[in-house]
Amino acid sequence: MVITPVHYIVAPLIAAFAIPLLIKIHKDAARIVPGIVLFYNVIVSLFLMNHIAEHGMISETLAGWQAPWGINLVVTPFTGFLATMVSILGFIIWLYGYRFKRTLKGGEVKYYEILQMMMIAGSIGIIITGDIFNMFVFIEIVGISAFSLTAFYRSRDGAEAGFKYLLIGGFASAFLLLGILIIYTQTGTLNMAQIAERMPDVPQQMKIVALIFFLVALGIEAEMFPLNGWAPDAYSQAPSPTSATFAAVVSVAGVYALIRVVFTMFDVEGVNNYLMVMGFVTMLIAEIAAISQKDLKRMLAYSSVGQVGLVLIAFGIGSNLAVFGALFLMLNHGVIKSLLFMAGSYFIYNTDDKKIKSLNGIYKKLPIVSFFFALGALAIIGFPPFSGFWSKFYILISAADEKYVFLIIGILLVTIIELTYYLRVVGRIYFAKQEGEPASHKPSINALVAMSSLALFIIVIGVYPDLIMPHIQSAADALLDKSNYIQQILSIKN
Amino acid sequence: MMEFQALFEQYRDLITIAVYGTAIALIVIGLYAVLMKKHLVKIVIGLSIMDAGIHLLFVAIGYISGGTAPIFSPGNENAGARMVDPVPQALVLTAIVIGFAVTALALSLVIRLYKHHHTANIDQLNSLKW
Amino acid sequence: MEIIAIILLILLVGSMLTFLIDSFSSKLTGITAFLFSLAASVVFFTQIPSGYQFKFQLAGLDLQWGLTDYSYYFAYIIFGMSVLALLYSIKYMEGKGRLGYFYGSFLLTILGMFGVVISQDFVSLFIFWEIMTWASFLLVIYNAYYKVKTKGVKYMIFSAIGAYAMLTAIVFIRVHYDTLLISEAIAKGAFNFEQYIYIPIFLLLGFSIKAAVMPFHVWAPSAYSKSPMSFTTIFSGAMSKMGVFGIGLVFTSIYLGTNPENFYWVRTILGWLGGITAVMGTIYALIQTDAKKLLAYSSVAQLGYIVVGLSTGTKLGIMAALYLTVIHAVFKGALFMVAGAVEKQAGTTDMTKISGLIRRMPWTFLVALVSIIALAGMPPVGGFVGKWLLYEALITESNNYILVVVVFFSSTAAFLYSYRFLYGLFLGQEEKDTKDVKEAPITMLIPMLILMIIAIVSGAVPGLIFEPAAKAMEAIGFQDVTWQMSSLTNLWGDTTNLGLISMLIGAVFVIVFVFITLKGYKNTKDVGTKDISTSGEIPKEWENLSFQQDFFQPFQRAAAPLYSMNMNKIWKNLGENLEAFFGFFRKLYTGNGQTYALYVVIFLVVLLLFKDVIFS
Repeated sequence: MVITPVHYIVAPLIAAFAIPLLIKIHKDAARIVPGIVLFYNVIVSLFLMNHIAEHGMISETLAGWQAPWGINLVVTPFTGFLATMVSILGFIIWLYGYRFKRTLKGGEVKYYEILQMMMIAGSIGIIITGDIFNMFVFIEIVGISAFSLTAFYRSRDGAEAGFKYLLIGGFASAFLLLGILIIYTQTGTLNMAQIAERMPDVPQQMKIVALIFFLVALGIEAEMFPLNGWAPDAYSQAPSPTSATFAAVVSVAGVYALIRVVFTMFDVEGVNNYLMVMGFVTMLIAEIAAISQKDLKRMLAYSSVGQVGLVLIAFGIGSNLAVFGALFLMLNHGVIKSLLFMAGSYFIYNTDDKKIKSLNGIYKKLPIVSFFFALGALAIIGFPPFSGFWSKFYILISAADEKYVFLIIGILLVTIIELTYYLRVVGRIYFAKQEGEPASHKPSINALVAMSSLALFIIVIGVYPDLIMPHIQSAADALLDKSNYIQQILSIKN
Repeated sequence: MMEFQALFEQYRDLITIAVYGTAIALIVIGLYAVLMKKHLVKIVIGLSIMDAGIHLLFVAIGYISGGTAPIFSPGNENAGARMVDPVPQALVLTAIVIGFAVTALALSLVIRLYKHHHTANIDQLNSLKW
Repeated sequence: MEIIAIILLILLVGSMLTFLIDSFSSKLTGITAFLFSLAASVVFFTQIPSGYQFKFQLAGLDLQWGLTDYSYYFAYIIFGMSVLALLYSIKYMEGKGRLGYFYGSFLLTILGMFGVVISQDFVSLFIFWEIMTWASFLLVIYNAYYKVKTKGVKYMIFSAIGAYAMLTAIVFIRVHYDTLLISEAIAKGAFNFEQYIYIPIFLLLGFSIKAAVMPFHVWAPSAYSKSPMSFTTIFSGAMSKMGVFGIGLVFTSIYLGTNPENFYWVRTILGWLGGITAVMGTIYALIQTDAKKLLAYSSVAQLGYIVVGLSTGTKLGIMAALYLTVIHAVFKGALFMVAGAVEKQAGTTDMTKISGLIRRMPWTFLVALVSIIALAGMPPVGGFVGKWLLYEALITESNNYILVVVVFFSSTAAFLYSYRFLYGLFLGQEEKDTKDVKEAPITMLIPMLILMIIAIVSGAVPGLIFEPAAKAMEAIGFQDVTWQMSSLTNLWGDTTNLGLISMLIGAVFVIVFVFITLKGYKNTKDVGTKDISTSGEIPKEWENLSFQQDFFQPFQRAAAPLYSMNMNKIWKNLGENLEAFFGFFRKLYTGNGQTYALYVVIFLVVLLLFKDVIFS
């Protein structure tokens, strides 16, 4: 095996240290090198996915220590799927942001690119690691990059959002450590597979207390209500490519961490109901808050939180079909919300403030971007024939299988709220009377390529979902087959 | 050394309680500072204190009374039986480093906030809401 | 490649192509769209026989497209209306902006409607239903500058409520009956009101919203009147019929059920909803001063009749509903085209501002006259046959006499607004500013005249529509629907020769008309529109003295309580209260980082306190 999972982490780390040196050679190195690294990650992902399709899952141990003792990186169809998705989206976001803030000084761009790259790499790390403490470290890497990026514009609101994010993130890391501590004292191991194996022997009370710490800590990362106060601020203040990354990459990693802990490590009953109820509350409150937002990015942020709520609901239902729907929705949400943030960013770029009301008639200035935004809005609401429809459809089917009538009605009512505010914005873009001067910032070619590829995905998968469904299905199977995961990891000897 | 050991055995329970108590007290103090204090710097300090408490708890749990340092060395091959659990210590080292980075970042944000708002009262930093 | 997929592809490619062509030549877009719709309908009518089926798999689901006689019946309406409407659009839309957008969405809407009728499984049904909905939404907001927030979105919200009600029903059909095929679900009794009652109710809710049945009609008047008229033609003419299509499907279980008496309450409720829709639509139509708005309310009322017909659940009633479906599409399509022509030529459709267009637009007037006669249900035009069937079904077969009175009241009141439409726009004295109005262009007249001829022929030889309608009824489970070219046999074997009746009454009507005209002609004298006797009162300057002002004031006074009962207001209040309520929850995000931290800690403590309740 030429390429191993560790490349995911090593390449960005080397690059992060090399960029400050390379920038002396060529001033654009800070832009290009992260792109190369992220593209390399895509290659790694595709290679590994191909490999596990033939040879089964990979568990790579680091520094010569074998699985339960050393840190291991695990690529199953599930983690591989998410890692592939995250790395491809990360690359597309890099492509979009390639000319980001050309006007800023070289140094600024350097920090931005490095932080952005580390955030994506850290998210991949969260996904592929098999060790709970290692996951903590990656969460902190993502966290620190994310805090800094949120405050990247040295503006008043940026710093405020960054500080709030950091404060809540600090709680997350503290509680996560406490949870890890309890688990370690009870099972004597940090390897997730081994923890899962030993979990039945842990006293029930201890197990539940540990679970609660994990739920709160990772609930913060997964933007679960009432732990998500930071999310709208951070999404709205971060540079737009970073907002897209939050939605497409970081929240995916956060949900992954929560699901891995809940589904694989613990075997507590009631947690499914907890996820379902909290997911629904998250979705409801977020969409309710979104409907009266005046700031475009803030509205998109609340919408992201709402979608994550739906993902949690689906994981809470817990059947194979529901998990399938949840993974499909994570993928769709990553793609569609990135597209919306990318398009929305150009709107903001062309208006004085970030307010929705200044989008009136912006369609004339930015026809292509407006089209992408409208496409994304229709897709995220779940209109066929766009990809968002299928994920919502499968989640609803799985809820119906379990006879959750009121859950279905609830989800659909919330969707109507979502539809209302998205279509108001689309209506403004296309049909409100335009005021103000003509376009000043046309989208650059790389941004157009990035957005077109996402839009293409939305349409192609919407019309022919069979292209992607087998992968998601095997990912869902891999997640739910817990005993196989444990056995494989503990028996694989490098 | 032997005297210390004896002394330790004598007050063993007391010391255990003291260590755990300190750890929990630190966590509570940290929480109090974060939740109740209005000054940004105090909040950051509270976060650090809370982290410190958790780190202490980690180390305390890994400790075995009378244990030795977790080092295998020639002539001490069966040290594994009586050595302190090395994993929590390693974890704490990592966590301390992370905590340091977070604190540094937090303080720099506090400075930025102070520059913009001319105040360090967290109640006045709510221009992003609803 | 399957022929049915080719038709969908033609429409899709046409939609994209028109969208693109607009950048090069906006004149060509209309013609392109027309040609593509024509091509699609030619391929459809020549290549696809009834009974055609096409099965395939998508996303792990078994999907099936095909045509029964029932869906064929609706396909006639869709393609017929679409082709005519697009022909009409070429001139009507000339000079307006964003034609690519308009025609692209138009063709997509046709694709959606066509998809709905060819779907034989619920998933395709829902997919096409939604395509139809959002494509039409794009057209509804085409004109709605400034008012997107209220008008267009209202349509979309109601459509979404309906669509999601359907989706809920669909996912439960899959669970309870383990099938997604419509025919299989019907065979297993999925629409049966006895087992899982919410399934048919949700489906009915979904379809009724599209058919604009009370109390969900509020989206319709503004959506119909604000869209470009050439689109309203199929919006009201064909798309609202998709709701009828669905209600008909759901009701099959009632016709086919072993003991239909058990579902009597469903039919009664739906019948009354239809009746109330008819009345409310009519009385609101009365007070409109804008011809487009008048027609929009009238559409709502007409859909009410159709629903009443469906709700009878008898052969005659269904036949009446199906017949009215076609005839309503024909005359309402023609009337919307007339309104569009007037709007195009005279610049407005406000009846207080224009009158006497008969001299300038005689052909348009002719179409309007015949269509209004059809709308009012007078012989010898097609509308009469439908009304007759409906009354006969209500009186002889369903014994629901109060409903008969309601329907009768509303169709009598329909005379009032019909008259107003005709008089307001075309009769009376000419206004000065309409002196130089010209007749509508030929491409706009042709579709109107075609529709007019259909209306006349269907009155004379109703069998032309009975034949496919009877086939359609057999496809959804009725047996032995007997009909002849101009007559229909009811439950007891009585044969009613509708063609003859309508001819006779028509003849009487014409004689009386000629007589009155000859008699009255001598006594006419020309006066200005605003020159009216004021019975000794001196009008104040600001009083608008046009006839059209307060045209039906006495009626309006008598029906005042009905007008105050405004559904629109109720829904609006509901919406506003909901938003205020939502605003309260939004305040949870106080903006203070410390509060958020407090939430986290409180949440942790609550979880720890209730851990035994939550996790067992």
